[in-house]
Amino acid sequence: MSLSLWRKSSIAILSVALFNMGLASAAQAAIVDTSALVAPDRATDLNTVRTQLDRADVRAKFEQMGVDAAVVEHRIASLNDRELHRLAADMQNAPAGGDAVWIVGAVFIVLLILELTGVIDIFKKV
Amino acid sequence: MQRRAAGIAARLALLLASTVMLSACVVRGPFIPPNLAPGARQHVDLENTPFFPQKKYQCGPAALAMVLGASSAIVTPDALVPLVYLPARHGSLQVEMQAAPRRFERLSYRLSPNMDSILAELNAGRPVLVLHNYGLPMFPRWHYAVVIGYDAKRDRFLLRSGSKARSEWRVRTFMVAWHNGGRWAMVVLRPGETPASANPTLYLESAADFERGANPPAARAAFDAAVQRWPAEPVGWVGRGTAEYRQGHLADAARDYAAALRIDDANLGARNNLAQTLLDMGCPRAARELLRAVDAGALKSPLREAVTDTREHADAAAEAGVAPDDAVCGSFVAK
Repeated sequence: MSLSLWRKSSIAILSVALFNMGLASAAQAAIVDTSALVAPDRATDLNTVRTQLDRADVRAKFEQMGVDAAVVEHRIASLNDRELHRLAADMQNAPAGGDAVWIVGAVFIVLLILELTGVIDIFKKV
Repeated sequence: MQRRAAGIAARLALLLASTVMLSACVVRGPFIPPNLAPGARQHVDLENTPFFPQKKYQCGPAALAMVLGASSAIVTPDALVPLVYLPARHGSLQVEMQAAPRRFERLSYRLSPNMDSILAELNAGRPVLVLHNYGLPMFPRWHYAVVIGYDAKRDRFLLRSGSKARSEWRVRTFMVAWHNGGRWAMVVLRPGETPASANPTLYLESAADFERGANPPAARAAFDAAVQRWPAEPVGWVGRGTAEYRQGHLADAARDYAAALRIDDANLGARNNLAQTLLDMGCPRAARELLRAVDAGALKSPLREAVTDTREHADAAAEAGVAPDDAVCGSFVAK
């Protein structure tokens, strides 16, 4: 098989999405969303295509990571382009807040001492 | 062997002694008072913040339910699990924690990464969701908690965290965990509220994210708050104008877009949206005039498509020459 399943499904999704894009802009008069104005540098012609790829990527990762298939689309729909891109880029290693276990308490004490001794300065403004 | 162990013990003792001596020279504090704004309260305890004890790995949904509840969006952690919990990671990601409030008609706003912004929000009566890291960069242990108060005199933060409804934290301990968690903190806002510590650019980004899925009256409230607080920011006016447009209030929309253009004549989003609104109001000549000098080819998507589309329609309507623009049309176009 020369085309991977992922690639095939991306192409299928993209073609549907490109088709839909035309429909959406015709239906919704030519008013520009405010999000295109807050950071205009972000808008590039590549973005629309990139967003479609990010979406396919995030969808696949959600499914791999055990998200219930019934809510995957719902979760993707909550995200804007920027957020989709961040997830697509780093879902495996981005911080994931879970439990407040102090199993590494000793390590934490070392960090506290480093702070106390001025090796790291947590009170510095950034 | 024994001698070697004794050697290590001696070295450890020396290290400990020097650490203690060193720390004696750099003991500082208190930390909260210098970060409080003038006139801020010395003691804040937002005890009305709801509390949900977390289930295993699910501090994300629990913490989010608490800050949403404090902004009167009533939701249980269980209802949030499908939205923000990632089973394979045994936790919740910041991106989704920030996206979820929009589902409940709330804005989320990430605070500037300094203690004074946390204190300012608490002082304004708003609990703060924070990410802590109790591990090391190589071996992180991330955890979400909700800060519900502080005591400046005793230099303590007050938290809802894990299974504890209230726990007092020394500022230093809190700050080490927060610093190692990337100094991430967010608040949840009702449409119409702005954060105490807000920076206009960050707030407008948050409002623009909110606009995408919000109903137009809620979006209007979010941008109206920006217009009231930062009237010199054109994007606030554009956002409010678009919310008016989507409710069919064309004259109000045109007024807001025109206000944005008066502040920044080069704001092409405002220019295009005003032209489209005038077109809808039956003023194709005024619409065409607004876009006359704009070079659509030099613009990026989606502005380029919007301007091209508006111009085409304006040209067609003007040439059909239905009726001349009336006096109302001219009143929105700067002379």
